[in-house]
Amino acid sequence: MSATDTVALPGVARQPEGGGAWRAWAPRLRAALPGAVFCLLVAGLWEVLARTKQSPLVPDLAEVWGEILRLLAGGMALEQVGITLWRISLGGIAGFAIAVLLGLFAARSRLFGAFIRPAVLLGLTVPGLVWALLCVIWFGVGLATPVVSIILGIAPPLLVTISQGLRAVDSELTEMAHVFRFSRAARIRHVLLPSIVPFLLSGVRLAFSLAWKVIVLVELFGLSDGVGYQLNSEFSSQNVAGVLAWTLIFWVVMAAIEFGLMQGMENRLTRWRRESSL
Amino acid sequence: MSAAPIVFSRVGKTYPGIGARPTETILRDFDLRIEAGELLALVGPSGIGKTTLLHMAAGLETSDTGAVQTGGDRRLGMVFQQPRLLNWLSVVRNVELAAEAAGVSPRRGLELLTEVGLDGYQAAFPLGLSGGQRQRVALARAFSIDPEIVLLDEPFSAVDALTARRLRLLLQDLWLENPPTGLLVTHNTQEAAFLADRVIVLGGRPARVVEEIKVDLPRPRSPEDPALFEIHRRIMSRLI
Ligand SMILES: Nc1ncnc2c1ncn2[C@@H]1O[C@H](COP(=O)(O)OP(=O)(O)OP(=O)(O)O)[C@@H](O)[C@H]1O
Ligand SMILES: [Mg+2]
Repeated sequence: MSATDTVALPGVARQPEGGGAWRAWAPRLRAALPGAVFCLLVAGLWEVLARTKQSPLVPDLAEVWGEILRLLAGGMALEQVGITLWRISLGGIAGFAIAVLLGLFAARSRLFGAFIRPAVLLGLTVPGLVWALLCVIWFGVGLATPVVSIILGIAPPLLVTISQGLRAVDSELTEMAHVFRFSRAARIRHVLLPSIVPFLLSGVRLAFSLAWKVIVLVELFGLSDGVGYQLNSEFSSQNVAGVLAWTLIFWVVMAAIEFGLMQGMENRLTRWRRESSL
Repeated sequence: MSAAPIVFSRVGKTYPGIGARPTETILRDFDLRIEAGELLALVGPSGIGKTTLLHMAAGLETSDTGAVQTGGDRRLGMVFQQPRLLNWLSVVRNVELAAEAAGVSPRRGLELLTEVGLDGYQAAFPLGLSGGQRQRVALARAFSIDPEIVLLDEPFSAVDALTARRLRLLLQDLWLENPPTGLLVTHNTQEAAFLADRVIVLGGRPARVVEEIKVDLPRPRSPEDPALFEIHRRIMSRLI
Protein backbone atom coordinates (compact mmCIF):
# COMPACT_ATOMS: atom_id res chain seq x y z
CA MET A 1 0.00 0.00 0.00
CA SER A 2 1.45 3.37 -0.93
CA ALA A 3 1.61 6.40 1.29
CA THR A 4 -0.79 8.30 -0.91
CA ASP A 5 -3.59 5.89 -0.14
CA THR A 6 -4.25 7.57 3.16
CA VAL A 7 -5.39 10.83 1.60
CA ALA A 8 -8.91 11.23 0.32
CA LEU A 9 -9.55 12.57 -3.12
CA PRO A 10 -11.42 15.78 -3.60
CA GLY A 11 -14.91 14.95 -4.76
CA VAL A 12 -14.47 16.47 -8.17
CA ALA A 13 -15.96 14.51 -11.01
CA ARG A 14 -14.63 14.68 -14.53
CA GLN A 15 -16.39 17.30 -16.57
CA PRO A 16 -18.32 16.07 -19.59
CA GLU A 17 -17.01 17.47 -22.88
CA GLY A 18 -19.22 20.18 -24.37
CA GLY A 19 -22.78 20.40 -23.15
CA GLY A 20 -22.77 24.10 -22.33
CA ALA A 21 -21.19 26.18 -19.60
CA TRP A 22 -23.94 25.44 -17.12
CA ARG A 23 -23.48 21.70 -17.46
CA ALA A 24 -19.80 22.08 -16.76
CA TRP A 25 -20.24 24.34 -13.77
CA ALA A 26 -23.22 22.73 -12.09
CA PRO A 27 -21.24 20.07 -10.18
CA ARG A 28 -18.74 22.64 -8.96
CA LEU A 29 -21.49 24.94 -7.76
CA ARG A 30 -23.12 22.04 -5.98
CA ALA A 31 -19.83 21.22 -4.31
CA ALA A 32 -19.45 24.83 -3.19
CA LEU A 33 -22.97 25.07 -1.79
CA PRO A 34 -22.34 23.94 1.82
CA GLY A 35 -19.47 26.39 2.16
CA ALA A 36 -21.61 29.19 0.81
CA VAL A 37 -24.37 28.38 3.29
CA PHE A 38 -21.83 28.61 6.10
CA CYS A 39 -20.67 32.05 4.94
CA LEU A 40 -24.23 33.34 4.67
CA LEU A 41 -24.98 32.04 8.14
CA VAL A 42 -21.98 33.80 9.68
CA ALA A 43 -22.81 37.02 7.82
CA GLY A 44 -26.42 36.81 9.02
CA LEU A 45 -25.40 36.29 12.63
CA TRP A 46 -22.98 39.16 12.38
CA GLU A 47 -25.65 41.44 11.02
CA VAL A 48 -27.99 40.55 13.89
CA LEU A 49 -25.20 41.21 16.37
CA ALA A 50 -24.37 44.56 14.75
CA ARG A 51 -27.97 45.73 14.81
CA THR A 52 -28.55 44.75 18.42
CA LYS A 53 -25.25 46.21 19.68
CA GLN A 54 -25.40 49.44 17.72
CA SER A 55 -21.74 50.04 18.51
CA PRO A 56 -18.88 51.34 16.29
CA LEU A 57 -16.93 48.29 17.49
CA VAL A 58 -19.35 45.99 15.62
CA PRO A 59 -19.96 47.64 12.23
CA ASP A 60 -22.81 46.22 10.16
CA LEU A 61 -22.38 44.54 6.82
CA ALA A 62 -23.18 47.63 4.79
CA GLU A 63 -20.43 49.52 6.55
CA VAL A 64 -17.87 46.79 5.98
CA TRP A 65 -18.94 46.50 2.35
CA GLY A 66 -18.52 50.27 1.98
CA GLU A 67 -14.98 49.96 3.35
CA ILE A 68 -14.22 47.13 0.93
CA LEU A 69 -15.40 49.25 -1.99
CA ARG A 70 -13.32 52.20 -0.76
CA LEU A 71 -10.21 50.03 -0.55
CA LEU A 72 -10.80 48.42 -3.91
CA ALA A 73 -11.33 51.77 -5.62
CA GLY A 74 -8.20 53.05 -7.32
CA GLY A 75 -6.50 49.65 -7.05
CA MET A 76 -5.12 50.34 -3.59
CA ALA A 77 -6.26 47.03 -2.11
CA LEU A 78 -4.98 45.06 -5.07
CA GLU A 79 -1.59 46.69 -4.85
CA GLN A 80 -1.22 46.04 -1.13
CA VAL A 81 -2.43 42.45 -1.44
CA GLY A 82 0.02 42.00 -4.30
CA ILE A 83 2.90 43.25 -2.16
CA THR A 84 2.00 40.89 0.67
CA LEU A 85 1.48 37.92 -1.67
CA TRP A 86 4.84 38.57 -3.29
CA ARG A 87 6.55 38.42 0.09
CA ILE A 88 4.64 35.28 1.06
CA SER A 89 5.57 33.61 -2.23
CA LEU A 90 9.27 34.41 -1.92
CA GLY A 91 9.47 33.29 1.69
CA GLY A 92 7.17 30.36 1.04
CA ILE A 93 9.13 29.00 -1.91
CA ALA A 94 12.45 29.43 -0.12
CA GLY A 95 11.11 27.86 3.07
CA PHE A 96 9.58 24.99 1.14
CA ALA A 97 12.77 24.28 -0.78
CA ILE A 98 14.81 24.31 2.42
CA ALA A 99 12.35 22.02 4.20
CA VAL A 100 12.32 19.51 1.30
CA LEU A 101 16.12 19.46 1.09
CA LEU A 102 16.59 19.09 4.84
CA GLY A 103 13.85 16.46 4.91
CA LEU A 104 15.57 14.41 2.21
CA PHE A 105 18.91 14.67 3.99
CA ALA A 106 17.37 13.76 7.32
CA ALA A 107 15.67 10.75 5.74
CA ARG A 108 18.99 9.60 4.29
CA SER A 109 21.05 10.14 7.39
CA ARG A 110 19.81 9.37 10.85
CA LEU A 111 22.74 11.36 12.23
CA PHE A 112 21.73 14.47 10.32
CA GLY A 113 18.13 14.02 11.47
CA ALA A 114 19.26 13.89 15.09
CA PHE A 115 21.56 16.84 14.46
CA ILE A 116 18.80 19.17 13.31
CA ARG A 117 16.13 17.90 15.68
CA PRO A 118 16.76 20.58 18.34
CA ALA A 119 16.52 23.27 15.69
CA VAL A 120 13.22 21.86 14.45
CA LEU A 121 11.84 21.71 17.98
CA LEU A 122 12.96 25.27 18.59
CA GLY A 123 11.30 26.36 15.36
CA LEU A 124 8.06 24.66 16.32
CA THR A 125 8.07 26.28 19.73
CA VAL A 126 9.02 29.86 18.97
CA PRO A 127 6.00 31.97 18.00
CA GLY A 128 6.03 33.73 14.64
CA LEU A 129 5.91 36.99 16.52
CA VAL A 130 9.44 36.44 17.83
CA TRP A 131 10.84 35.76 14.36
CA ALA A 132 9.06 38.85 13.06
CA LEU A 133 10.51 41.06 15.78
CA LEU A 134 14.02 39.65 15.49
CA CYS A 135 14.10 39.93 11.72
CA VAL A 136 12.86 43.50 11.80
CA ILE A 137 15.64 44.33 14.26
CA TRP A 138 18.33 42.46 12.31
CA PHE A 139 17.42 43.12 8.71
CA GLY A 140 15.50 46.41 8.85
CA VAL A 141 13.10 47.30 6.11
CA GLY A 142 14.56 45.25 3.25
CA LEU A 143 13.03 42.22 1.56
CA ALA A 144 15.19 39.97 3.75
CA THR A 145 12.99 40.65 6.77
CA PRO A 146 9.76 39.12 5.46
CA VAL A 147 11.54 36.33 3.57
CA VAL A 148 13.71 35.18 6.46
CA SER A 149 10.97 35.39 9.04
CA ILE A 150 8.63 33.36 6.83
CA ILE A 151 11.34 30.76 6.27
CA LEU A 152 11.91 30.51 10.01
CA GLY A 153 8.19 30.31 10.62
CA ILE A 154 7.26 27.66 8.06
CA ALA A 155 10.32 25.46 7.54
CA PRO A 156 10.14 23.57 10.86
CA PRO A 157 6.48 22.43 10.61
CA LEU A 158 6.98 21.71 6.90
CA LEU A 159 10.02 19.62 7.70
CA VAL A 160 7.93 17.57 10.12
CA THR A 161 5.23 17.03 7.50
CA ILE A 162 7.73 16.06 4.81
CA SER A 163 9.60 13.70 7.13
CA GLN A 164 6.34 11.94 7.93
CA GLY A 165 5.72 11.56 4.21
CA LEU A 166 9.18 10.18 3.58
CA ARG A 167 8.81 7.66 6.38
CA ALA A 168 5.61 6.45 4.76
CA VAL A 169 7.22 5.79 1.36
CA ASP A 170 6.48 2.22 0.30
CA SER A 171 9.60 0.16 1.04
CA GLU A 172 8.60 -2.32 -1.70
CA LEU A 173 9.00 0.44 -4.29
CA THR A 174 12.29 1.54 -2.76
CA GLU A 175 13.54 -2.03 -3.12
CA MET A 176 12.32 -2.19 -6.71
CA ALA A 177 14.15 1.04 -7.54
CA HIS A 178 17.26 -0.36 -5.89
CA VAL A 179 17.16 -3.65 -7.79
CA PHE A 180 16.63 -1.92 -11.13
CA ARG A 181 19.50 0.42 -10.29
CA PHE A 182 17.57 3.67 -10.53
CA SER A 183 19.87 6.67 -10.28
CA ARG A 184 19.50 8.86 -7.22
CA ALA A 185 17.82 11.51 -9.35
CA ALA A 186 15.33 8.97 -10.74
CA ARG A 187 14.62 7.67 -7.25
CA ILE A 188 13.88 11.13 -5.92
CA ARG A 189 11.89 12.20 -8.95
CA HIS A 190 9.89 9.05 -9.66
CA VAL A 191 9.64 7.28 -6.32
CA LEU A 192 10.12 9.68 -3.41
CA LEU A 193 8.45 12.87 -4.56
CA PRO A 194 5.33 11.25 -6.09
CA SER A 195 4.95 9.18 -2.92
CA ILE A 196 4.85 12.26 -0.74
CA VAL A 197 2.64 14.40 -2.99
CA PRO A 198 -0.27 14.37 -0.50
CA PHE A 199 2.11 15.48 2.23
CA LEU A 200 3.59 18.17 -0.02
CA LEU A 201 0.14 19.48 -0.87
CA SER A 202 -0.92 19.71 2.75
CA GLY A 203 2.49 21.26 3.38
CA VAL A 204 1.80 23.98 0.82
CA ARG A 205 -1.51 24.75 2.49
CA LEU A 206 0.10 24.78 5.91
CA ALA A 207 2.92 27.01 4.65
CA PHE A 208 0.49 29.47 3.15
CA SER A 209 -1.54 29.90 6.29
CA LEU A 210 1.52 30.10 8.55
CA ALA A 211 3.29 32.52 6.23
CA TRP A 212 0.29 34.80 6.25
CA LYS A 213 0.33 34.92 10.05
CA VAL A 214 4.02 35.78 10.10
CA ILE A 215 3.96 38.34 7.30
CA VAL A 216 1.18 40.35 8.89
CA LEU A 217 3.33 40.80 11.98
CA VAL A 218 6.41 41.69 9.98
CA GLU A 219 4.53 44.30 8.00
CA LEU A 220 2.96 45.61 11.14
CA PHE A 221 6.24 46.06 13.03
CA GLY A 222 8.78 46.83 10.40
CA LEU A 223 7.43 47.71 6.99
CA SER A 224 5.45 50.57 5.55
CA ASP A 225 3.19 48.73 3.14
CA GLY A 226 1.39 45.43 2.70
CA VAL A 227 -1.83 44.14 4.21
CA GLY A 228 -0.35 43.88 7.72
CA TYR A 229 0.69 47.52 7.66
CA GLN A 230 -2.74 48.56 6.39
CA LEU A 231 -4.45 46.52 9.07
CA ASN A 232 -2.41 48.29 11.69
CA SER A 233 -3.17 51.74 10.36
CA GLU A 234 -6.91 50.97 10.33
CA PHE A 235 -6.48 49.73 13.88
CA SER A 236 -4.69 52.93 14.92
CA SER A 237 -7.60 55.00 13.66
CA GLN A 238 -9.99 52.66 15.46
CA ASN A 239 -11.68 51.77 12.18
CA VAL A 240 -13.04 48.30 12.88
CA ALA A 241 -14.83 48.18 9.53
CA GLY A 242 -11.47 48.84 7.85
CA VAL A 243 -9.79 46.00 9.74
CA LEU A 244 -12.60 43.64 8.76
CA ALA A 245 -12.51 44.84 5.16
CA TRP A 246 -8.79 44.07 4.82
CA THR A 247 -9.24 40.70 6.45
CA LEU A 248 -12.11 39.82 4.13
CA ILE A 249 -10.24 40.96 1.03
CA PHE A 250 -7.28 38.82 1.91
CA TRP A 251 -9.51 35.90 2.80
CA VAL A 252 -11.11 36.07 -0.64
CA VAL A 253 -7.69 36.09 -2.27
CA MET A 254 -6.60 33.06 -0.26
CA ALA A 255 -9.83 31.25 -1.11
CA ALA A 256 -9.24 31.99 -4.80
CA ILE A 257 -5.74 30.54 -4.51
CA GLU A 258 -7.06 27.45 -2.76
CA PHE A 259 -9.87 26.77 -5.20
CA GLY A 260 -8.19 28.00 -8.34
CA LEU A 261 -4.59 26.98 -7.90
CA MET A 262 -4.30 24.37 -5.18
CA GLN A 263 -7.22 22.17 -6.17
CA GLY A 264 -6.23 22.39 -9.82
CA MET A 265 -2.74 21.28 -8.88
CA GLU A 266 -4.08 18.50 -6.66
CA ASN A 267 -6.35 17.25 -9.45
CA ARG A 268 -3.47 17.18 -11.87
CA LEU A 269 -1.09 15.43 -9.51
CA THR A 270 -3.57 12.75 -8.51
CA ARG A 271 -4.98 12.19 -11.98
CA TRP A 272 -3.60 8.64 -12.02
CA ARG A 273 -6.01 7.63 -9.28
CA ARG A 274 -9.12 8.89 -10.97
CA GLU A 275 -8.31 7.74 -14.48
CA SER A 276 -7.71 4.33 -13.01
CA SER A 277 -11.16 4.00 -11.54
CA LEU A 278 -12.99 5.04 -14.70
CA MET B 1 22.78 -11.26 -25.00
CA SER B 2 25.01 -12.75 -22.34
CA ALA B 3 24.07 -14.51 -19.16
CA ALA B 4 26.09 -14.66 -15.99
CA PRO B 5 26.28 -17.40 -13.36
CA ILE B 6 25.02 -16.84 -9.84
CA VAL B 7 27.28 -18.37 -7.23
CA PHE B 8 26.61 -18.71 -3.51
CA SER B 9 29.79 -19.81 -1.77
CA ARG B 10 29.82 -20.75 1.90
CA VAL B 11 27.07 -18.24 2.62
CA GLY B 12 26.05 -17.71 6.22
CA LYS B 13 23.21 -15.65 7.58
CA THR B 14 22.03 -15.24 11.14
CA TYR B 15 19.10 -13.04 12.09
CA PRO B 16 19.33 -11.56 15.56
CA GLY B 17 16.50 -12.48 17.88
CA ILE B 18 14.14 -9.66 18.69
CA GLY B 19 12.12 -9.79 21.89
CA ALA B 20 10.95 -13.34 22.47
CA ARG B 21 12.39 -14.49 19.15
CA PRO B 22 15.62 -16.44 19.41
CA THR B 23 18.64 -15.74 17.26
CA GLU B 24 18.33 -17.93 14.18
CA THR B 25 20.97 -19.15 11.81
CA ILE B 26 19.09 -19.40 8.52
CA LEU B 27 22.10 -20.34 6.43
CA ARG B 28 25.50 -21.83 7.24
CA ASP B 29 28.17 -22.60 4.65
CA PHE B 30 25.53 -22.70 1.97
CA ASP B 31 26.83 -23.50 -1.52
CA LEU B 32 24.87 -23.24 -4.74
CA ARG B 33 25.92 -22.51 -8.29
CA ILE B 34 23.46 -21.50 -10.99
CA GLU B 35 25.06 -21.81 -14.40
CA ALA B 36 24.89 -19.07 -16.99
CA GLY B 37 21.62 -19.42 -18.88
CA GLU B 38 20.18 -21.91 -16.42
CA LEU B 39 16.80 -21.44 -14.76
CA LEU B 40 16.89 -22.80 -11.25
CA ALA B 41 13.78 -23.19 -9.13
CA LEU B 42 14.06 -23.03 -5.37
CA VAL B 43 11.31 -24.73 -3.37
CA GLY B 44 11.02 -25.46 0.30
CA PRO B 45 8.85 -24.87 3.33
CA SER B 46 7.86 -21.41 4.40
CA GLY B 47 10.49 -19.53 6.38
CA ILE B 48 13.35 -21.74 5.21
CA GLY B 49 15.31 -18.83 3.67
CA LYS B 50 14.37 -18.78 -0.02
CA THR B 51 13.60 -15.08 -0.16
CA THR B 52 16.74 -14.40 1.86
CA LEU B 53 18.84 -16.16 -0.80
CA LEU B 54 17.06 -14.35 -3.61
CA HIS B 55 17.52 -11.00 -1.89
CA MET B 56 21.21 -11.69 -1.49
CA ALA B 57 21.47 -12.30 -5.22
CA ALA B 58 19.55 -9.07 -5.81
CA GLY B 59 21.77 -7.05 -3.50
CA LEU B 60 18.87 -6.31 -1.18
CA GLU B 61 20.41 -8.34 1.61
CA THR B 62 23.99 -9.05 2.61
CA SER B 63 25.43 -12.32 3.76
CA ASP B 64 27.17 -12.44 7.13
CA THR B 65 29.84 -14.79 5.88
CA GLY B 66 30.81 -16.20 2.49
CA ALA B 67 30.05 -14.52 -0.80
CA VAL B 68 27.25 -14.19 -3.32
CA GLN B 69 28.48 -13.57 -6.79
CA THR B 70 26.18 -12.22 -9.45
CA GLY B 71 28.95 -10.99 -11.68
CA GLY B 72 29.22 -7.45 -10.38
CA ASP B 73 27.67 -4.97 -12.73
CA ARG B 74 25.32 -7.34 -14.50
CA ARG B 75 21.94 -6.21 -15.75
CA LEU B 76 19.51 -7.70 -13.32
CA GLY B 77 15.74 -7.90 -13.69
CA MET B 78 13.39 -8.91 -10.95
CA VAL B 79 9.75 -9.92 -10.72
CA PHE B 80 8.20 -9.73 -7.29
CA GLN B 81 5.08 -11.34 -5.89
CA GLN B 82 3.34 -7.98 -6.25
CA PRO B 83 3.88 -6.00 -9.46
CA ARG B 84 5.58 -3.09 -7.64
CA LEU B 85 4.80 -0.57 -10.35
CA LEU B 86 4.94 3.18 -9.92
CA ASN B 87 1.21 3.82 -9.95
CA TRP B 88 1.58 7.50 -10.85
CA LEU B 89 3.36 6.70 -14.09
CA SER B 90 1.86 5.22 -17.22
CA VAL B 91 2.53 1.60 -18.11
CA VAL B 92 5.03 2.58 -20.78
CA ARG B 93 6.89 4.96 -18.46
CA ASN B 94 7.22 2.21 -15.89
CA VAL B 95 8.98 0.06 -18.45
CA GLU B 96 11.03 2.89 -19.92
CA LEU B 97 12.41 3.92 -16.54
CA ALA B 98 13.95 0.49 -16.02
CA ALA B 99 15.55 0.68 -19.47
CA GLU B 100 16.86 4.17 -18.75
CA ALA B 101 18.34 3.05 -15.46
CA ALA B 102 19.99 0.06 -17.15
CA GLY B 103 21.30 2.24 -19.97
CA VAL B 104 19.61 0.26 -22.74
CA SER B 105 17.34 1.45 -25.52
CA PRO B 106 13.67 1.65 -24.55
CA ARG B 107 12.74 0.03 -27.87
CA ARG B 108 12.79 -3.51 -26.53
CA GLY B 109 10.47 -2.50 -23.69
CA LEU B 110 7.94 -1.14 -26.17
CA GLU B 111 8.04 -4.37 -28.17
CA LEU B 112 7.65 -6.39 -25.01
CA LEU B 113 4.50 -4.53 -23.98
CA THR B 114 2.92 -5.74 -27.21
CA GLU B 115 4.35 -9.18 -26.69
CA VAL B 116 2.85 -9.55 -23.23
CA GLY B 117 -0.52 -8.57 -24.68
CA LEU B 118 -0.76 -5.00 -23.50
CA ASP B 119 -0.95 -3.22 -26.83
CA GLY B 120 -3.32 -0.31 -26.35
CA TYR B 121 -2.59 -0.05 -22.63
CA GLN B 122 0.68 1.84 -22.97
CA ALA B 123 -0.76 5.14 -21.77
CA ALA B 124 -2.93 3.62 -19.03
CA PHE B 125 -2.09 3.97 -15.37
CA PRO B 126 -1.37 0.72 -13.49
CA LEU B 127 -4.34 1.00 -11.14
CA GLY B 128 -6.62 0.82 -14.17
CA LEU B 129 -5.25 -2.64 -15.02
CA SER B 130 -6.17 -6.02 -13.61
CA GLY B 131 -3.76 -7.81 -11.31
CA GLY B 132 -2.71 -10.14 -14.11
CA GLN B 133 -2.14 -7.26 -16.50
CA ARG B 134 -0.03 -5.47 -13.93
CA GLN B 135 2.10 -8.54 -13.50
CA ARG B 136 2.53 -8.60 -17.29
CA VAL B 137 3.90 -5.08 -17.06
CA ALA B 138 6.28 -6.29 -14.36
CA LEU B 139 7.43 -9.10 -16.66
CA ALA B 140 7.92 -6.67 -19.55
CA ARG B 141 9.88 -4.39 -17.24
CA ALA B 142 12.17 -7.18 -16.07
CA PHE B 143 12.93 -8.32 -19.61
CA SER B 144 13.06 -4.85 -21.17
CA ILE B 145 16.57 -4.31 -19.88
CA ASP B 146 17.92 -7.30 -21.81
CA PRO B 147 18.74 -8.92 -18.46
CA GLU B 148 21.68 -11.18 -17.81
CA ILE B 149 20.04 -12.35 -14.60
CA VAL B 150 16.35 -12.58 -13.75
CA LEU B 151 15.15 -13.17 -10.21
CA LEU B 152 11.56 -14.16 -9.52
CA ASP B 153 10.02 -14.40 -6.04
CA GLU B 154 6.69 -16.25 -6.22
CA PRO B 155 5.82 -14.20 -9.30
CA PHE B 156 2.44 -15.81 -9.99
CA SER B 157 1.18 -16.64 -6.53
CA ALA B 158 -0.99 -13.53 -6.24
CA VAL B 159 -3.05 -14.11 -9.41
CA ASP B 160 -5.75 -16.68 -10.10
CA ALA B 161 -4.82 -20.13 -11.41
CA LEU B 162 -5.83 -19.48 -15.02
CA THR B 163 -3.98 -16.17 -15.20
CA ALA B 164 -0.98 -17.81 -13.56
CA ARG B 165 -0.96 -20.50 -16.25
CA ARG B 166 -1.00 -17.90 -19.01
CA LEU B 167 1.73 -15.89 -17.36
CA ARG B 168 3.90 -19.01 -17.01
CA LEU B 169 3.60 -19.68 -20.71
CA LEU B 170 4.43 -16.05 -21.37
CA LEU B 171 7.46 -16.27 -19.12
CA GLN B 172 8.60 -19.38 -21.00
CA ASP B 173 8.35 -17.50 -24.30
CA LEU B 174 10.26 -14.52 -22.96
CA TRP B 175 12.88 -16.85 -21.57
CA LEU B 176 13.36 -18.71 -24.83
CA GLU B 177 13.94 -15.54 -26.82
CA ASN B 178 17.11 -14.72 -24.99
CA PRO B 179 17.77 -16.91 -21.95
CA PRO B 180 19.24 -15.10 -18.95
CA THR B 181 20.32 -16.87 -15.79
CA GLY B 182 17.29 -17.33 -13.59
CA LEU B 183 16.46 -17.96 -9.98
CA LEU B 184 12.81 -18.71 -9.34
CA VAL B 185 11.39 -19.04 -5.85
CA THR B 186 8.01 -20.74 -5.77
CA HIS B 187 5.67 -22.80 -3.64
CA ASN B 188 4.09 -24.32 -6.72
CA THR B 189 5.92 -27.55 -7.52
CA GLN B 190 4.23 -27.89 -10.92
CA GLU B 191 5.35 -24.39 -11.77
CA ALA B 192 8.89 -25.27 -10.71
CA ALA B 193 8.88 -28.40 -12.88
CA PHE B 194 7.38 -26.61 -15.87
CA LEU B 195 9.73 -23.64 -15.89
CA ALA B 196 13.04 -24.82 -14.46
CA ASP B 197 16.08 -26.65 -15.78
CA ARG B 198 16.81 -27.78 -12.25
CA VAL B 199 14.76 -27.82 -9.07
CA ILE B 200 16.38 -27.52 -5.66
CA VAL B 201 14.45 -28.52 -2.55
CA LEU B 202 15.60 -26.82 0.65
CA GLY B 203 15.02 -28.14 4.14
CA GLY B 204 16.23 -27.87 7.72
CA ARG B 205 17.69 -25.06 9.75
CA PRO B 206 20.20 -23.93 8.74
CA ALA B 207 18.85 -24.65 5.27
CA ARG B 208 20.53 -27.23 3.09
CA VAL B 209 19.76 -28.81 -0.25
CA VAL B 210 17.72 -31.96 0.46
CA GLU B 211 17.00 -32.80 -3.15
CA GLU B 212 18.17 -31.76 -6.57
CA ILE B 213 16.11 -32.67 -9.62
CA LYS B 214 17.15 -32.08 -13.21
CA VAL B 215 14.32 -31.34 -15.62
CA ASP B 216 15.65 -32.57 -18.95
CA LEU B 217 12.61 -31.77 -21.04
CA PRO B 218 12.92 -29.85 -24.28
CA ARG B 219 11.34 -26.41 -24.61
CA PRO B 220 8.81 -25.11 -25.33
CA ARG B 221 7.09 -27.29 -22.77
CA SER B 222 3.42 -27.76 -22.20
CA PRO B 223 2.09 -27.32 -18.66
CA GLU B 224 0.08 -30.51 -19.23
CA ASP B 225 3.05 -32.68 -20.20
CA PRO B 226 2.70 -35.93 -18.18
CA ALA B 227 6.45 -36.06 -17.70
CA LEU B 228 6.17 -32.90 -15.60
CA PHE B 229 3.78 -34.61 -13.28
CA GLU B 230 6.35 -37.24 -12.43
CA ILE B 231 8.83 -34.52 -11.50
CA HIS B 232 6.20 -32.67 -9.52
CA ARG B 233 5.60 -35.88 -7.53
CA ARG B 234 9.28 -36.31 -6.81
CA ILE B 235 9.54 -32.77 -5.51
CA MET B 236 6.42 -33.16 -3.43
CA SER B 237 7.68 -36.36 -1.83
CA ARG B 238 10.70 -34.45 -0.51
CA LEU B 239 8.62 -31.54 0.70
CA ILE B 240 6.12 -33.41 2.86
N1 LIG C 1 14.74 -8.94 8.53
C1 LIG C 1 14.62 -10.08 9.24
N2 LIG C 1 14.83 -10.08 10.57
C2 LIG C 1 14.70 -11.21 11.29
N3 LIG C 1 14.38 -12.39 10.78
C3 LIG C 1 14.15 -12.46 9.45
C4 LIG C 1 14.25 -11.31 8.61
N4 LIG C 1 13.96 -11.68 7.35
C5 LIG C 1 13.69 -12.99 7.39
N5 LIG C 1 13.81 -13.47 8.65
C6 LIG C 1 13.62 -14.86 9.05
O1 LIG C 1 14.42 -15.66 8.23
C7 LIG C 1 13.74 -16.83 7.90
C8 LIG C 1 13.74 -17.02 6.40
O2 LIG C 1 12.95 -16.02 5.80
P1 LIG C 1 12.63 -16.01 4.24
O3 LIG C 1 11.78 -14.83 3.98
O4 LIG C 1 13.90 -16.11 3.49
O5 LIG C 1 11.78 -17.34 4.09
P2 LIG C 1 11.10 -17.94 2.77
O6 LIG C 1 11.72 -19.25 2.54
O7 LIG C 1 11.13 -16.96 1.67
O8 LIG C 1 9.62 -18.14 3.30
P3 LIG C 1 8.25 -17.98 2.48
O9 LIG C 1 8.15 -19.21 1.66
O10 LIG C 1 7.22 -17.95 3.54
O11 LIG C 1 8.32 -16.74 1.68
C9 LIG C 1 12.36 -16.75 8.50
O12 LIG C 1 12.33 -17.54 9.65
C10 LIG C 1 12.20 -15.31 8.86
O13 LIG C 1 11.44 -15.18 10.01
MG1 LIG D 1 9.66 -15.77 0.64
